[in-house]
Amino acid sequence: MAETASVTFTLVITGAPYSSQAPQTALGFAQAAVDAGHRIDRVFLYGDGVHLASALCAPPSDETNWSEAWSQFLADHSVPGVACIASALRRGLVNETEQKRYELPAANLRAPFEIAGLGEWVEGRIKSTRTLYFHAGD
Amino acid sequence: MSTLIMIDQPPYGAWTGREALDMAFSLAAFDQPASLLFTGAGVNWLRQAQEAGGIGQKSVEKNLSAAPIFGIEAILADRSACNTYGLDENSLIEGVTLVDADAVLLTNYDHTAFAG
Repeated sequence: MAETASVTFTLVITGAPYSSQAPQTALGFAQAAVDAGHRIDRVFLYGDGVHLASALCAPPSDETNWSEAWSQFLADHSVPGVACIASALRRGLVNETEQKRYELPAANLRAPFEIAGLGEWVEGRIKSTRTLYFHAGD
Repeated sequence: MSTLIMIDQPPYGAWTGREALDMAFSLAAFDQPASLLFTGAGVNWLRQAQEAGGIGQKSVEKNLSAAPIFGIEAILADRSACNTYGLDENSLIEGVTLVDADAVLLTNYDHTAFAG
């Protein structure tokens, strides 16, 4: 069998969990890529995709908690997960720093996700072999 | 490494177009060559004299006018979509290049992206 060269990926998720399949499809891809010996450089949440980083998702117990599943994947494989700050602030997703800055009543960013700017996407796009987008598809 | 950011959503009623514009500006801010392609209902971004005040929004014309300042290489509009929406050289804002948004066009870019 031919040797497959190792490839690195930046994954961009723009579809929200429970209103789109984007986070689930992206996780399936990420798992398969890692299993095949490739590396995920980072996962960037943009637009409605930032809802994936919410610590407050509480789906029924017989459904997958995609925020939790993604957090586990990121932690297990030491992959940085970054939510776009502009997208996140518009949609009510904040860490403690932004909670203080905007004097909001709560913070709800799930570890190990972080909040940062679009520069993270630009950098991933330059460094990774490929950048893949997972959209809501509507 | 040149990127084409595509906007196929109308300027009002969806936020993905604005977020796509931010992606293009962000690339340009990091000195990465970027162009914008408006296609489908997205060509309405390029209509002159938009009056968004009636729905409590700001016209996107102002956002778009920042494109050359940020260093966006080109603002492209799909010719057939412009025809569909009744847009021509007289009703489009300045600085727009009409193109056929086909596979040949995409060969000029090594990366293409939508915001959603």
